[in-house]
Amino acid sequence: MTNAIRRTVDFVQRYIDRYRNLGYKAKKKIRFIIGRIFLYYVLIELAYLFLLPFIYILTTSMMSYQDYLDPTVEWIPTAFEWKNFKDAWIGLNYPRAFLNSLVTSLGSALLQAVSCAIIGYALGRFRFKGKTLLFVLVILVLLIPPQTTILSTYGVWATFSMTNTYFPILVPALFGLGLRGALFALIYMYFFQRVPDAMDDAARIDGAGPFRVFIQIMLPLVKSAISIVFIFSFVWHWNDNYEAPTYMYNQEMLTLQPKLEKIQQYYSEALGYSGEASDFEKAMTEPMLFAGCLLTLLPVLIVYIAGQNKLASGIERLGVIE
Amino acid sequence: MAKQQIKAKKKLAHKRTLGSIISFERRKTIEGWGFALPWLIGFVMFTLIPLVLSIRISFFITQLTDLYGFEGHSQWVGFQNYKDIIQDPSVGEAVFNSFANALYQVPIIVFFALFVAVLLKQKFPGRVYFRVIFFIPVILAGVIMSYLFNDGVGSVNVFGSIVSNSSGWMGNILGGRLTQYIGNIMWSSSVEILIFLAALQSVPDILYEVVELDGASAWESFWHVTLPYISPFVILNFVYALVDSFVKYDNPIMSMMKQMTDTGTKYGMASALSWMYMLMSLLTILIFILLTRRWLR
Repeated sequence: MTNAIRRTVDFVQRYIDRYRNLGYKAKKKIRFIIGRIFLYYVLIELAYLFLLPFIYILTTSMMSYQDYLDPTVEWIPTAFEWKNFKDAWIGLNYPRAFLNSLVTSLGSALLQAVSCAIIGYALGRFRFKGKTLLFVLVILVLLIPPQTTILSTYGVWATFSMTNTYFPILVPALFGLGLRGALFALIYMYFFQRVPDAMDDAARIDGAGPFRVFIQIMLPLVKSAISIVFIFSFVWHWNDNYEAPTYMYNQEMLTLQPKLEKIQQYYSEALGYSGEASDFEKAMTEPMLFAGCLLTLLPVLIVYIAGQNKLASGIERLGVIE
Repeated sequence: MAKQQIKAKKKLAHKRTLGSIISFERRKTIEGWGFALPWLIGFVMFTLIPLVLSIRISFFITQLTDLYGFEGHSQWVGFQNYKDIIQDPSVGEAVFNSFANALYQVPIIVFFALFVAVLLKQKFPGRVYFRVIFFIPVILAGVIMSYLFNDGVGSVNVFGSIVSNSSGWMGNILGGRLTQYIGNIMWSSSVEILIFLAALQSVPDILYEVVELDGASAWESFWHVTLPYISPFVILNFVYALVDSFVKYDNPIMSMMKQMTDTGTKYGMASALSWMYMLMSLLTILIFILLTRRWLR
């Protein structure tokens, strides 16, 4: 036993000695390789943690409820249950809810990508009296919880009988506010600050007006900011379950998120149960529920995967001084 | 003839002075406010007016049909709503909970984000895919998240099973009692990771080369180069995480306000609560910024 220990210690010692006797470059290389192994290990482990909920949704949505309740079936379902998706499609009233979600998300994402660029341009490119005040106001908008203003905003829209239309979501986005508009303005500001002064000075001397400089010179230079803002705005609006259902509460005008929240209730009503569903009933509808989750998730997943190149290159350029 | 020439010259001179009345600075100011104008209009319409109106609502006992007390169904009660809230013990508890949550969650979020950002900043093959994976929490949010957090049957917590399923030491560290918090915390750190990545990428490479020549290890160069350079962003991330935790959907105060408005009669009280809550969170953030001003450069 002691012999074995001594042998291992010797073995390790030999390697440490060998490492000590190496030159500077070789040492550096070994350190580099060890660092890489550690890096990949940690990243793969974390990525696994982040991906697992996806896999969970994917597999559960394909299970029949017998599979779901069967403890021997852990990840891979015995058969693909098409019925889940059919049920979820009807329960969500998918075509209509999808349209509502799409109009609010795509509309506000497009509007915010432009309107937040305008305020970001004012903040990032000009030095003028009262700019600090403007900056403080933007920060203030970021800090005010939406709950403080949503009641009275709702009242205003209601007095113009504009609830249950898309306007309460789209109009604030048109002016550069709306869901996290202040954050987007700050992202644009950050990007515009990094553009060298020579760019617009040159255009100015050639006689371009302020709007022309903004549209033809500056906006193309911050393409990566545009893609970041567009993707984030789209995804956040798609996942919003607070503002949209507050303004658009009719069954016809509900977006996917509130529909998904009520989908189990819809099923227990359809099955003729009243009141709170029991645990068993809930378990029965669980695969259908996750099929609904997948249906809700799919469009934003497509946007994300389609835009991931743009997003990644945008992130790559973040903060890099050109 | 000569008179005409002089006149023309005078005209020109006059023109030139008119042109220089609007100085460069002045023009910049006008243009700056011009670009800010749409946002300012929006700010007045969708933030300032609603804020003022919600103060007004907070002095009433009112119903949805008559939110501003124009039709006389609402009753002016002065500071009664505020008194009720202060005296309600459940409100105090919710406030305490929401601040206690922020106290332990925010530092963990920021440090986790910093850790991940430092790893992701490394140049290695495949980093693009990892970067995309770490923004998954942005997609998986809202209702789906709450379903995942308490998966219907109750006995299966997806995050619990994730952690116990994950292999190796990470699973062990994240296991045990921390499971229910960790998922939550990891899941709200993606914007912070983005901010840190931006900050880390703005550190000039030349600084690292200099300290490497001086013989600093990676650890030392992190402490003496990276951290001082990105310290304003650490503060920024703390502020962002604080704000985020104050307005998150599972914040106890938030759900309380939702309850009040759901019943349909307590709009005045909800407005009063939201105002007090806003002032409290603004004050917290202000104190935090004042305390950390030293590192803000």
